[in-house]
Amino acid sequence: MDDKNSTESNLDYQGGRAAVRDGHDSVRREKPEPVAGGSNKVLISWVVGAGIVLVMAGGYLGGYSNFFDSSDSYIYPGYVAAARPVVEGVDTDAEQEPWIEVWMKDGKKVYTNCIACHQAAGTGTPGLFPPLKGSEWVDGGTERLGMIVLSGVLGPLNVSGSTYNQPMPAWGALNDEKLAQVLTYIRREFGELPEGQSGVVTKEMMKAAREKHGKRTSPWTEADLLAIPGDAELPGVEVDLNTGQPVAGE
Amino acid sequence: MSETMQEASVQDIQERAAIDKSARLPVLFFFTSAAGWLFLATLLGFASSVKLAAPELWDACPWLAYGQLFPAHMDSLIYGWGMQAGFGVMIWLMARLCRVEIKNGVTLVAAGFVWNLTILFGVVAVWSGYGNSMPWLDFPAYLWPAMFLSYAVIAGSLLMMFRRRREGEAYISQKYIFGAALWFPWIFAVANLILNHTGGSALMNAGVNAWFMNNLIYFWFVPVGLASAYYIIPKIVGRPIYSYQLAQIAFWALAVLAGWTGFNRFLGGPFPSWMPAISGTAIILMLLPIGAVAVNLLGTISGRGSLMHFSPSLRFTVFGGIMFNLYGLLVAFSSYFDISRLLQFSYATLGYDIMVVYGFFSMVVFGAIYFIVPRITGCEWPSAKLIRFHFWYSSYGIITIVAFMIFAGLAQGGAIDDWSGDFMDSVRRGKGYIVALAVAWALISVANLAFYYQLLMMACGKGRKSEGPTLIHKNPGEAASAEAAAGFAPEDTAKA
Repeated sequence: MDDKNSTESNLDYQGGRAAVRDGHDSVRREKPEPVAGGSNKVLISWVVGAGIVLVMAGGYLGGYSNFFDSSDSYIYPGYVAAARPVVEGVDTDAEQEPWIEVWMKDGKKVYTNCIACHQAAGTGTPGLFPPLKGSEWVDGGTERLGMIVLSGVLGPLNVSGSTYNQPMPAWGALNDEKLAQVLTYIRREFGELPEGQSGVVTKEMMKAAREKHGKRTSPWTEADLLAIPGDAELPGVEVDLNTGQPVAGE
Repeated sequence: MSETMQEASVQDIQERAAIDKSARLPVLFFFTSAAGWLFLATLLGFASSVKLAAPELWDACPWLAYGQLFPAHMDSLIYGWGMQAGFGVMIWLMARLCRVEIKNGVTLVAAGFVWNLTILFGVVAVWSGYGNSMPWLDFPAYLWPAMFLSYAVIAGSLLMMFRRRREGEAYISQKYIFGAALWFPWIFAVANLILNHTGGSALMNAGVNAWFMNNLIYFWFVPVGLASAYYIIPKIVGRPIYSYQLAQIAFWALAVLAGWTGFNRFLGGPFPSWMPAISGTAIILMLLPIGAVAVNLLGTISGRGSLMHFSPSLRFTVFGGIMFNLYGLLVAFSSYFDISRLLQFSYATLGYDIMVVYGFFSMVVFGAIYFIVPRITGCEWPSAKLIRFHFWYSSYGIITIVAFMIFAGLAQGGAIDDWSGDFMDSVRRGKGYIVALAVAWALISVANLAFYYQLLMMACGKGRKSEGPTLIHKNPGEAASAEAAAGFAPEDTAKA
């Protein structure tokens, strides 16, 4: 009630019109709200126009709908679709990326695990982490490499004439495929391989490594690794670099 | 029946003042946040068209790739600006026309926050490349329930207001708002459920997507825009609408026809021919309500057109109304096969969409905002010059976009229809026109900066405090109303 009175006292009257003093001039000057109802005029031109529109719409529906036949009439009668282009002589094999490219790309992804110590370019960190580039361990046989990634290394390790003491963690938790990919990557990317070697480590080779050395739970030491001949390779067949399949005739 | 409206009574004024006060918080919230989105959307529009005209620019930055900029632009324009500004207009109009105060302002603002956050998340996702490439439904699939819920709260409040209404028979604007409030959840849920969840053939999904786009236009943007126009025009001109009966017919025609449209976007596409045929028929029949709007627009302002010279609200609203009629004609025209085979899948489609979302809806909403904000803030727009600037830059921009996109579509013409030709050929033919698109968005961005600045001033209560409205071509406070400025004395009103 009080509220209403105070609003009332805010009003004054100018020539019969009420005005709100508190700055609500916009509310005072506006016209009353429009209400439903009112003129029912229907313009004759609108009616004529509506007739034309109805005729147009009927003609349109008749012309384009194919009389609601949904079997195979996609377009309105009389429309001739363009002939479909014929694809000929496309060599699907040529379009495919060689297997080795994909294998290396995946290897590069796995290598992100190694970047923190061995660096993106495989240079290592002088005094702390050994390089992969120019390392006799990478250039040599695959068996030692397989052992290193499976169980890691502890204690002093001589690489390219320097001694490194930081431990290398074991990566045996990664599956054979990933380990094979990353070994292929570091060997082909950073290694200086003997003439004629592709540097590929296959999944089968990695599987063999795991069977032979995978039971080891503690990291290797330099002595353990040197007990294996430097050129010992993991068993596996040579594969075609384009297809990833074993080379026929082996 | 008298042709003019009575002067306001004391009770009317008290009632309005109370309603406006209750509407202040939610309506200003929706308007200001929508205007922020609008500014972002127009900048994105500019950047995306520059990128389209010069694809080699900013090559290294994926955030500036056209495929990410353009959907981010459209989504922020439609959901950030369009729908949100529409909420503000709907809430205020519903409260005024039902003559009830808004009791759940805080709930509305909370729903608005959810809406804004969802849109923000969605636009950032689309912009950074996580959109799902369905036009106007690009947001990641998990966002739509949040939008749906927030919308349900807003629509629910509108319907509750309608239930509490003090006037028996609903005015035409109320019907449109009521309709839009209920139609949107239907089309939005159907489109999202089919496209994001149940799935279907890729082909049918494209059809559903087109159905959603057309229905968002005809079931939401058009009714909300018309609700505003049917309110603002009689209010400023000081006459009831020319033919109330035609307005009613138009409402029901829209309600019956809109749901059938959509497949006309794929005329001649690999759908059974009756599907695009029905959509095309609905688009042509849509000329009935559109003609009714034209009759009412012309009939209501006839003889008092000079008010447009002074009243910003009327000027924006009438511009929007004209754009709506042109849109209806152009789309009906383009639903004929021989024309659509030239224009569909070309830039012309973009031109049409901008024409209805910006040329019609946004301009009408600008008109409503220029009308509403002085009432809810209690101060007047600071600068008539800036309003004029906003109007002209926006209208030049929109006309440029529509005209050049249609020219570009014609230039691309049949090139895209010719499978044996080089696809890039059709792109190259339309390329020159894209420069105009970039220029137009730049104009509109500048215009919206002026608008945003004025709106923020008003929201902070830094508007003009003196009496008298801010009219174009008049000094502040010089004329007591657009009528007085145009030289229509109240006596003339009575006779007219």
